[in-house]
Amino acid sequence: MGRWLRGFALATAAALCGGCGQSDGRPVVRFIVQPDAGGGYRAVVEKFALARPDILVEMVEGPASTDSREEMYIGAFMAGDSPYDVVLMDVIWVPKFAAQGWLLPLDDRFPSQARDAFLPGDVRAGIWDGRCYRVPLRSDAGMLYYRSDLVPDPPATFEALAARARGLKTADRGGFVFQGRQYEGLVCAFLEVLWGHGGDVLDDSGAVVLDSPEGIRALTWLAGLVGDGAPEGVTTYQEEEARAAFQEGRAVFMRNWPYAWAKLQEDGSPVKGKVGIVPMVHAEGRESAATLGGWGFGISRTAKFPDAAWAFIEFATAPEQQKLLNARNGAIPTRRALFEDPEILARHPHYPELFRVLLAARPRPVHPQYSRISQSLQRHLSAALVKSETPEEAIRKAAGEIRGIVGK
Amino acid sequence: MKRLLPVAVAAMAAFSLGPFLWSALTSLKPADELFRVPPTWIPRSVSLDNYRDVFAQRPFARYMVNSLFVAGLSTILTLAAGAPAAWALARLRLRWSAAIEKGFLAFALFPPAVLLVPLFVAARDAGVLNSRIGVAFVHAALNLPFAVWSLTSFFRAFPADLEDAARVDGFSRAGVLLRVVFPVSAPALAATAILVFIFSWNEFVIALTFLTRDELRTVPVGVAMLSGVTAYDIPWGQISAAVVVTTLPVVAAVLAFQRSIVQGLGAGAVKG
Amino acid sequence: MGSRSRYLWLLPSAALLGVILALPLLKGLAGGVPGIGDALRDPAVGRAAWNTCLFAGISVPLELGLGLAFALLLNRDFRGRGLARALAILPWALPTAVMALSWRWIFSDSWGIANDLPRALGLLEEPVPWLGRPGTAMAALIAADVWKTTPFVTLILLAGLQGVPSDLYEAMSLDGAGPVRRFFWVTLPLLRPSIALALVFRLIQALGIFDLVWVLTGGGPADATRTISLEAYDSVFRHLEPGRGAAVTLLAAAGMFAVALVLGALARGRGDA
Repeated sequence: MGRWLRGFALATAAALCGGCGQSDGRPVVRFIVQPDAGGGYRAVVEKFALARPDILVEMVEGPASTDSREEMYIGAFMAGDSPYDVVLMDVIWVPKFAAQGWLLPLDDRFPSQARDAFLPGDVRAGIWDGRCYRVPLRSDAGMLYYRSDLVPDPPATFEALAARARGLKTADRGGFVFQGRQYEGLVCAFLEVLWGHGGDVLDDSGAVVLDSPEGIRALTWLAGLVGDGAPEGVTTYQEEEARAAFQEGRAVFMRNWPYAWAKLQEDGSPVKGKVGIVPMVHAEGRESAATLGGWGFGISRTAKFPDAAWAFIEFATAPEQQKLLNARNGAIPTRRALFEDPEILARHPHYPELFRVLLAARPRPVHPQYSRISQSLQRHLSAALVKSETPEEAIRKAAGEIRGIVGK
Repeated sequence: MKRLLPVAVAAMAAFSLGPFLWSALTSLKPADELFRVPPTWIPRSVSLDNYRDVFAQRPFARYMVNSLFVAGLSTILTLAAGAPAAWALARLRLRWSAAIEKGFLAFALFPPAVLLVPLFVAARDAGVLNSRIGVAFVHAALNLPFAVWSLTSFFRAFPADLEDAARVDGFSRAGVLLRVVFPVSAPALAATAILVFIFSWNEFVIALTFLTRDELRTVPVGVAMLSGVTAYDIPWGQISAAVVVTTLPVVAAVLAFQRSIVQGLGAGAVKG
Repeated sequence: MGSRSRYLWLLPSAALLGVILALPLLKGLAGGVPGIGDALRDPAVGRAAWNTCLFAGISVPLELGLGLAFALLLNRDFRGRGLARALAILPWALPTAVMALSWRWIFSDSWGIANDLPRALGLLEEPVPWLGRPGTAMAALIAADVWKTTPFVTLILLAGLQGVPSDLYEAMSLDGAGPVRRFFWVTLPLLRPSIALALVFRLIQALGIFDLVWVLTGGGPADATRTISLEAYDSVFRHLEPGRGAAVTLLAAAGMFAVALVLGALARGRGDA
C-alpha cells in the first residue's frame, strides 16, 4: 500500500506537472512580485521579452501581504537551490538575506557612478558590510499630511504639532493619527520622531544609543499624545485605519506613506483639495527625517543565469520602465532625474514636496538582526502607548534588549 | 420547552450569521461608504462593483475548481486511509492500540509553519511542487490524526453484537465494515468528512508555497492576492465579496453531501 | 486472519504519515533539541506560553458549552432544521485569515459594529478600541475564536447525538424521567467519547492558534496576545533562527500532548480511557 501510494503520487504528479520549470533552453529568470493590480510589472516584463527574446522572465505574483511574500522567498532559500533567481526585496530584508549568504554582491555590475543617479537613502539601504546587494526600483518614505483648509501654515516642530493637534481636535475629530498598532509600521512612525529629536537606535559604530535623553523625549512626546492629541484607538491603527480616519475628516494631521495621497485626492473624497504634505516635524534646532521604505532587485546566489538576471534588473530599473510603473502602479521612482520629468510632474504636481521628503529618508537600523531589534522596539513602544510602561521604562528596556541582540 | 425552541434557534442563527452578515453587507457597499462613522448598517447605495472587480482581478472560478479538487481528493484520501485504521483501533483488540492512537495524535501537534521548510524540500525533491495532487496528499496527512481519532471514537460506540451477527452471517471483516459499520456510522463519517474537507479548503501556507502558478492556486491564496494598486491599501469590499461568493456554495455543497451520504448509506443499512 | 495481519489495516494511514510527514518532522525538529534549555529560560517564551494557556483555557470551555447547546438544539425536530444546520457550520467554513480581517473592522473604535451596536443600545457611551487595550484585545480574540470554532464542536457532538439510540430515551420517558434527568443520565454519558474528541482537538488547535492572532492583533498591544506559535513562527521566518523555532515548537508540543491526553482521558471517563 505504501509503495502504491508513493508510486501513485509520483506518477500523477509527473503527469500533471510535466513541463513545469522547464523552458525551451533559454535562460529563465524568476521572481515574486506583489499582485500586479495596475499591470505595470506585466508591461515591463512584456517589453523586456521584445528587447531580449533570448531570455525568459517569469513573474510570480504573490499575496498582497509583504509578510507572505517574504515567507515564500525565505522558504525557498532555506530549502536551498531557490527557484527564484531575482529577489524583489523590501529595504529591511537586505542585511538579513545578505548575511545568510543568499544574495550575490552587485558592486561590479552596479558601481558607485551608476548609484549616483538614484536617491541616496535607497542606495544606502542596499549596502551591507561594505557591499551592495540591491538596485532600487521604487521608493517610499513616511511624511506628515495635514488639512490645508484647517492649518494654513503647517507646523515645523513637535511642540507646534502637538499644540495644533490638541487645539484643533473636536468631539468627532481627532488631532494626529499614525500607525500605533504593535507591528513594523509603529517602528517606522517612531523612528521619524526619534530622528527628529536628534536620537537614534544605533550609532555609526553600531553601538546602541537608543536610551539617550533624546530617545526618552521622543517616546514621551509620542506616547503623551495617545488619548489626547491622538485618539486612543490609534493603538490599533495600521496605514489604512489612519488613512480612512483622515480621509473621513476625523483627523487634522496624519503620518503615512505617499500612497495615501492618491486616495485622498480621489473624486468623492471628503478631503479632496484640502490636503498638504510636509516632511515630518523636528525638534528645535534638529532636522526632519523620514523612514525609508521601498523595493529593489537583488540576485540570488543560486541563480543559474546571473547575467540574464542582471540584464532584466538593468532594464526594469531604467528610467523608461520606472515611468511605466509610476503611471500604471503609482510606484515612486528611485531615480532623481525623474522628479523633474515633465510627464511625471504633470501627473503628480505634489512630487517636488515628496522629493524633499525622500532626500531626507533614512534606512531603518541596517543590521542582519534587524527583525529582532524591531520586535523589541514594537513590544516596548506599544507598551508605552497603552501606558503599561512609562516612556522611560520602555526605552530603557528596549535598549537593554537590543544591546543583548547586537552585542554592543 | 416547546415555546422556547424557536427563540433558541433564532439566537443560534443570529450568533452564527451575525459577523458573516456584516461582511456580506460590506461587500455591497461602494468604496466611499466603507469607513462612514457611524457605520451604515444597510448600504445606502447597493453596488455590485465589488463582485465584478473580484472576478475581473483574479480567476476565482478557476481557484474554486482547484480548491474543490484539492479538498475533495484530500478528503477521500483521508477517509480511505483513516477509516480502516480507526476500525482496527476500535475493534480488533490490537495489543498496541492505545500507543498507536497516541502516536497518531502526536502528528497533530506540529503547526504547518514549522513543517513548511522540510515539507517544501521533500516536495521539491519528489517533483510535486506545482501539483494539486501533491498538496492534496499533504493535506490528507495533516488531517489524518483527527480523522483517525474521530472515527475510532465513533466506531467504539458501534454495537458489537450487530457486527458479530453479521460475521455469523458469513461476512468477511471488510464486508462487515463496508456493508454494516459504514452505513450505521454514516453521520459520523459525514461529520468527519465535512471537517476534514473544510480544513483543506481553507489551508493557506502549504497551498501558497507549493502552488505558485496562478492557474493552480486555491481560494484562500486567491483571496490573499486581492490587492489595491499599492501594497498598503486593503480592498476591503472586494475581499468581502470574494468570501461571500466562495463560501456560500461550499456550505451548500457540504450540506447536500451530508444529506446524501446519510440517506444513501442509511438506506443501504436498512436493506443490508 | 492471523494476529499480525490485523495490523495491515493500519498500513495506508501509516504510509501516508510516514511518507509525507515523518521525515520532514524529524528533520525540522531535530535542530531544536539543543535549544530547548535556552527556550525554557527565555522570558518571551514564558510570556507567550501564559497568553496561550489563558486564551485556550477560556475559549475552549466556552466553545464546548455553546457547541453542546447548539448540537442538542440541532438534534431536535423542527421545520427549517437543514437551514439551521447550514448556518451553524458557516463560521467554520470561512477562511480564518480573511474572517480575522473582518473582525478587525468589527472591533474598530470608529466604524466597527462592536462599538456601534452597544452604543445604539445605550450600553456604551464612549467608543472602546477593543483591540487597542491589553485586556480587551485578549477578550476580542477569544470572542472571535469562539465564534469561528464552535461549529467544529457542534458538528462532532451532533454526530455523537445521532448515535444515541432513541429507544433508550423512550424507555426513560416511560419511567417518568424528565428532560433534565434524561440529559444527565443518558445523553451526557453516551456523549462522553464525542466530548473527549472535541476537547482534545479543540485544545490542540487553540494552543496552536496562529492566523487569527496574526491578523487581528499581531500579538499586541504590548505583547498581550502574543502566543506560542507566533513566537515559533517569528523565529523561523522573521529572525531566520529555525533552531529556536523548532525548540519552542517541541516544548509547546510536549505540553499540548500532556494536557490533551490527560483532559481527554478525564472527559472520556475512567472505563474507556
